Amino acid sequence: MADKLIIDDTGYETVIPENALRKHLYHDPEEVKAFIPGTIVGVVTKVGARVKAGETLLLLDAMKMHNEVCSPVNGIVTELSVSVNDRVDKGQLLARVKKG
Amino acid sequence: MSIFTAINDFFGRVARLVKGGGEEALAKQKQQGKLSARERLDGILDQGSFFETDLFVEHNATDFGMDRKKLAGDGVVTGFGKVDGRPVSIFAQDFTVAGGSLGRAHAGKIVKIMDASMSRKIPLIGINDSGGARIQEGVDSLCGYGDIFYRNTRLSGVVPQLSLILGPCAGGAVYSPALTDFVFVVNKVSNMFITGPQVIKAVLGEEISQEELGGAMTQASITGNAHFYAESEEEAFAQIRRLVSFLPSNCLEAPPKVKSEEPAKPMKDEIVPGERRKAFDVQDVIRGVVDRSDFLEVHRHYAGNIVVGFGRLAGKTVGIIANQPRILAGVLDVNASDKAARFIRFCDSFSIPLLTFVDTPGYLPGIDQEHAGVIRHGAKLLYAYSEARVPKLTVIMRKAYGGAYIAMCSRHLGADFVMAWPTAEIAVMGSEGAANIIFRKEIMESSDPEATRAAKVKEYESKFANPYVAAARGYVDAILPPSATRKALIEAMDFAGGSDPGNSFRRHGNIPL
Repeated sequence: MADKLIIDDTGYETVIPENALRKHLYHDPEEVKAFIPGTIVGVVTKVGARVKAGETLLLLDAMKMHNEVCSPVNGIVTELSVSVNDRVDKGQLLARVKKG
Repeated sequence: MSIFTAINDFFGRVARLVKGGGEEALAKQKQQGKLSARERLDGILDQGSFFETDLFVEHNATDFGMDRKKLAGDGVVTGFGKVDGRPVSIFAQDFTVAGGSLGRAHAGKIVKIMDASMSRKIPLIGINDSGGARIQEGVDSLCGYGDIFYRNTRLSGVVPQLSLILGPCAGGAVYSPALTDFVFVVNKVSNMFITGPQVIKAVLGEEISQEELGGAMTQASITGNAHFYAESEEEAFAQIRRLVSFLPSNCLEAPPKVKSEEPAKPMKDEIVPGERRKAFDVQDVIRGVVDRSDFLEVHRHYAGNIVVGFGRLAGKTVGIIANQPRILAGVLDVNASDKAARFIRFCDSFSIPLLTFVDTPGYLPGIDQEHAGVIRHGAKLLYAYSEARVPKLTVIMRKAYGGAYIAMCSRHLGADFVMAWPTAEIAVMGSEGAANIIFRKEIMESSDPEATRAAKVKEYESKFANPYVAAARGYVDAILPPSATRKALIEAMDFAGGSDPGNSFRRHGNIPL
């Protein structure tokens, strides 16, 4: 039993099964991720653009619908990791917006 | 027509009907590694005890060429039979007949034996092997499913309902088994899902095999939809028969009583490691207490941090719920709470006393757990224990910390008898955590924080890391060594009440689902 699970500052020797402690997707407020798997059908912004929170960055086609992917913060687009026709998985990083 | 012609004609009809979809279809079923519907009935029931009903039922659908199609038994074999001499209602869908598809007449046959289960108060066993709704029959097929779901629900808590998934079980069809008490799956034979891999791919672009999506091990280990996993159909039949041996036929009967026998491996005091961070296998404790060390585990592959299942104490069935320190230190989490709560409610429905073994450091921390609703799910466990009116016996082996102490059938949730081993620690949390909070300032301001911390942990430990504080308040009834556990439980069972009449004026409570 090599695993150790720490509860209230005590480390217990035990078995931690695979996936039992699935790390929750840490939500970085500057990261824009796909909330549903689908296909990118439009890139509305570009790297270096100043955007407002709620402004559309990308169009994501999923479940036969166009979904707008919006900026989570006011700031500058520092990275666009996808282009038109890319298939994306749920949770995949699409863009980064630096606050400011 | 002479009587002999009539009888010959009758035998001819029967011979055609019992062949289901015919030789070719039966051979194909074999090829897929599956037994036929009738072989399955024979495998589960006492030899020669199957008593068939509705062999001659036919559908009366006319659309899409159905008027020209004769379907033997309308794709399902129904009737009664015995398991260890005790009557049960049983049906087996026949995949060789129109893919076991469910039409109105097919459903009508199942409904008939379900109604018999209700009026005769006998368990229901269902064997599912069906492509789903008979689309040619349209809304009549949906009516059939609805009629079955309704009866599954009305039968819930009246008679035990067991479902075997021995083939595909997809779409709406999954909800009949899901409403029953125990679901059995077989490796490479069973498949359950609401929407299959093709639809998932078309809609979401996600790719997964049928086996990974809803195969036997997926249902037994990831979703928890299945309670029993077997490598072969024969193994599943043996599991069914063994399970039935522990259960009463209905909610008005007591569970069957058999001769009391000592455990094959009686428990020794050394069962529990002195060092409380070290794990041990709680299965050894359970097998050290129950008759013949015979323990039928439910949900073996799901939420291993809690163990549930059936055993006997002095010949009488008990439902056992035990934290498993060997997996995730025995913490409570979303899945463990769901697993235990459902099991407790089954036992309470069927007059099966509850026996709880406690060694848990508390609830599992994490964003995942919080967002998965550990508050709502954890509440089910409190609710199920508090609501249960069967005798409730609890053994606190080691750690019983905080909310998890309360949840694991403490005196406060209505336990009839709580015993603790001398190694028990009943406290708000472990000594390290507690000392770090209570003595934070002293530790921080100390010239040697580590030494101070160690001293304070020791201080807390000597004061609270034992069963005596709780026993002094009467929260623990008796403190006994592990080797005395079985005898104490058998004696306590005779005095355990479980007689609280409850709130009989209310319609039902509102368990957090």
